[in-house]
Amino acid sequence: MLHVQNIEKYYGTKNNVTKALDRVSFTVEDGEFLAIMGASGSGKTTLLNCISTIDTVSAGDILLDGVSVSNLPAAELARFRRERLGFVFQDFNLLDTLTIEENIGLALTLGHGDAGAVQGRVREVAGKLGITDILGKFPYQVSGGQKQRAACARAMVAGQSLLLADEPTGALDSRASKNLLEIMTEMNRSMGATILMVTHDAYSASYAKRVLFLKDGRVFNEILRGNRGRSVFYHEILDVLAALGGDVSDVL
Amino acid sequence: MSVTYFELSARNAKRQARDYLVYFATVVLAAALLCAFNGLLLSGEVQTLSKSMNMMPLMLGMASAVVVCVFGWLVSYATGFMLSRRSRELGTYLLIGLENKQVARLFFLENLAVGGCALALGLVLGDVLYQALRAILLALFGIPYQFTLALSLPAVALTAVYFALIYLFALGRSRRRIRKMNIHGLIYFEKQNQGAVIRSGKGRRWVFAASVVLAAAGTVLLMSGSGKLGLTGAGCVIVGLYGFFISFASGVPAFFDRRPARKYRGVNLLVFRTLTAKLATMGVLMATISMIFTATLMAEGTGLVLRGLFIGRMTEKACFDLYIGMGEPERDRSIYLDYIEAHIPVEEDVFYQVYNSPDDQFMAYLKETNNYYSFYEQDPILRWSDYAALRSIAGYPPVELGEDQYLVHCISALEKDARGYTRPISPGGVTLELGGVHTEHLLQSGVTGQGHGYILVVPDRAAEGLSVHHLAYAAKTVEPVPYEDFYNLTVLMDQVWENTGRADQINTEASEKDELASQTALTVFPLFYLALALTMTAAAILTIQQLSESERYRRQFALLQKLGMDRRDMARALGRQFFLYYALPAVPPVLIGVPFILNLAKVPEPGVMVGLRSPAAITAFSLALFFLVYGLYILMAYTSLRRNVLPQDR
Repeated sequence: MLHVQNIEKYYGTKNNVTKALDRVSFTVEDGEFLAIMGASGSGKTTLLNCISTIDTVSAGDILLDGVSVSNLPAAELARFRRERLGFVFQDFNLLDTLTIEENIGLALTLGHGDAGAVQGRVREVAGKLGITDILGKFPYQVSGGQKQRAACARAMVAGQSLLLADEPTGALDSRASKNLLEIMTEMNRSMGATILMVTHDAYSASYAKRVLFLKDGRVFNEILRGNRGRSVFYHEILDVLAALGGDVSDVL
Repeated sequence: MSVTYFELSARNAKRQARDYLVYFATVVLAAALLCAFNGLLLSGEVQTLSKSMNMMPLMLGMASAVVVCVFGWLVSYATGFMLSRRSRELGTYLLIGLENKQVARLFFLENLAVGGCALALGLVLGDVLYQALRAILLALFGIPYQFTLALSLPAVALTAVYFALIYLFALGRSRRRIRKMNIHGLIYFEKQNQGAVIRSGKGRRWVFAASVVLAAAGTVLLMSGSGKLGLTGAGCVIVGLYGFFISFASGVPAFFDRRPARKYRGVNLLVFRTLTAKLATMGVLMATISMIFTATLMAEGTGLVLRGLFIGRMTEKACFDLYIGMGEPERDRSIYLDYIEAHIPVEEDVFYQVYNSPDDQFMAYLKETNNYYSFYEQDPILRWSDYAALRSIAGYPPVELGEDQYLVHCISALEKDARGYTRPISPGGVTLELGGVHTEHLLQSGVTGQGHGYILVVPDRAAEGLSVHHLAYAAKTVEPVPYEDFYNLTVLMDQVWENTGRADQINTEASEKDELASQTALTVFPLFYLALALTMTAAAILTIQQLSESERYRRQFALLQKLGMDRRDMARALGRQFFLYYALPAVPPVLIGVPFILNLAKVPEPGVMVGLRSPAAITAFSLALFFLVYGLYILMAYTSLRRNVLPQDR
């Protein structure tokens, strides 16, 4: 589904260049749940921004369903994002003037689809994510976990093929985090959602099927969960992080 | 410490002026307006223009008192608003160890610096504006304008006093607020407002319906012409406006909730939600602004109606260089004519009688067709030879009259009806057919003029034996009649009144023009001064509110861009949202103000409000004036918002 091929990203001027991504390559299969880990400044967010077409690559190419996102004309970008990509952010990014239902429905209205079908489609997805009872509420009236589930619903309601999550549990307490990660796992397993999650939290990453480690803009390591239990996988992630030499705070 | 203080205050003041440029520009203009009108108020030259101009300081003083209050509200509102917006920053000052009173002093100093700069710029601009106002005023009195730079020191001092009052009031309030606040209160101030963004309820829908009815009823009462009913109407309009805006925010979501397909169509969802969220928090403010706009539109309309009325009456009355109407048929005319002969060189004159027709058939016809009212009992009649002389004196081209014909000379409002009159008239036993209708100004408005709105002109033989209604004298003078001569003639007129109890009438073109200029200066100037100050204040507050949301809008559109919204759709949503935000407070004033102005312009006697002074034209001019000033603010705000809010493609 997603092919990241030797991408590089440089920032700065001629005399002061910072290399944020250095020949990064990997593939995400259809229906996969991939986590990308790394310490602060390792290039995680830059990588996510390049995949999500918010930023451009300096070299290399990114293909989503065979389409090169690096060369998409500006006019096509918006359509590409709303049809193919779903976003879940650390701080939820729900519009506070819209109800939860409207926040989810917003993703459907952006493409000028059938306005009459929006409410039905939103209720269907909300039912799957267990947030039907809060659809009429405003974001300030619901909990962080509920907001994040609403964000997940928005990310998949328009049938987007790839869900990009940027530190989705960053603003949640441990119980809400666990709940959200279980829902994301369910979305991946039952609904076939392909998820690419960026995190520096090992616990969150342990829910993924595969974890990619970034260090100083390069792919440092990659581990697969396979048939192992989640706790075993979690400890394995911690081992890699220790080897990676990240901050203790990043690991624990 | 004091140096750091000063530097920090100066830096913050600079940032404040940049962030709130529209507000700063408005305060500069406010200073300029106050300064320019203070210049007029204290100008010795202005008071020498005419005797009645000694009322000018009183009129402008009263207007200035209101304007100072209005600008005081603007500065107080904006200062309080900035305090709320910067509460986190001020809280940080407390966090790093500054005392409340030091923070209050910091805020006081920077606002004082902004006010001081605005005042300095305003005084310079005010001088230019004063010159413009002076030029308009001199042109009104027909006096050639000569540029003189100096603005009087008292005017500058008075403006500084006004400004000190405005700022000390606003900053005193902020100072008290800061002194009472704690770190937590300041840092989390913004969050305190967030809970109550959206509210709804059935009660509000009832309030909405009742408000609309109340505002409509109030508008009707405003036009009743009665003082008590008018005041009741004003009260109804005010209550209606507040009710409307407070309840409006809940009505719109309810409307869309019942129509989900419409809600999710295009950019509707974003537009209506952003707007109602804004209205839910600023309903009272919107109502106040709408009320101010209503007052503005009415002030502008009233000013234009008054100006139209003055011009209309003046052009009718000023058609002769000198005119004297004597209310008594038998009169020793020498009392006036001796004075004229001794003091006023005359090129051409005529002394004549206005006769009574034996019947009132033409008047009866007008009463039927035109709802005409007159204080004459019979149709007034003028001899052809006198009429021809009057036309010559007034400078009108000669006209023809057949032996068996009569003419109607009337105000333009009666022309159509006069032309439709087909019956012959028979004054003095001679039957005459209508030979034409003329509508030049011929002083047809007073009791002792050429009839009230119309006069019938008959061959001289047909006037023989008719009773005389009054005597009249008209003259074309070598020079315009000076005010002194006009005044002396009115003294003679007063003597006549005391001796005989009969009222005469004296008009000179010069005195009429002088009266027009004085009346315009005394009424239209203060009304427009008020209107301008009100529009500027209300539009500035709306704009401050709108631009202060730039950061939130920017974040919102950045998110929408990530979610895949087209830039074109973003621009459309922003534009629509913006248009509705500015249109909403302007709609009730237009709905209330337009019928009010139309009605007001219809009040004067027929023939006065015609052409460019017609009710429709005056309403159009009032709206154009209002939207010109308002439009400038909208343009400034939209340009700034679009530039700051919409994200660029990668």
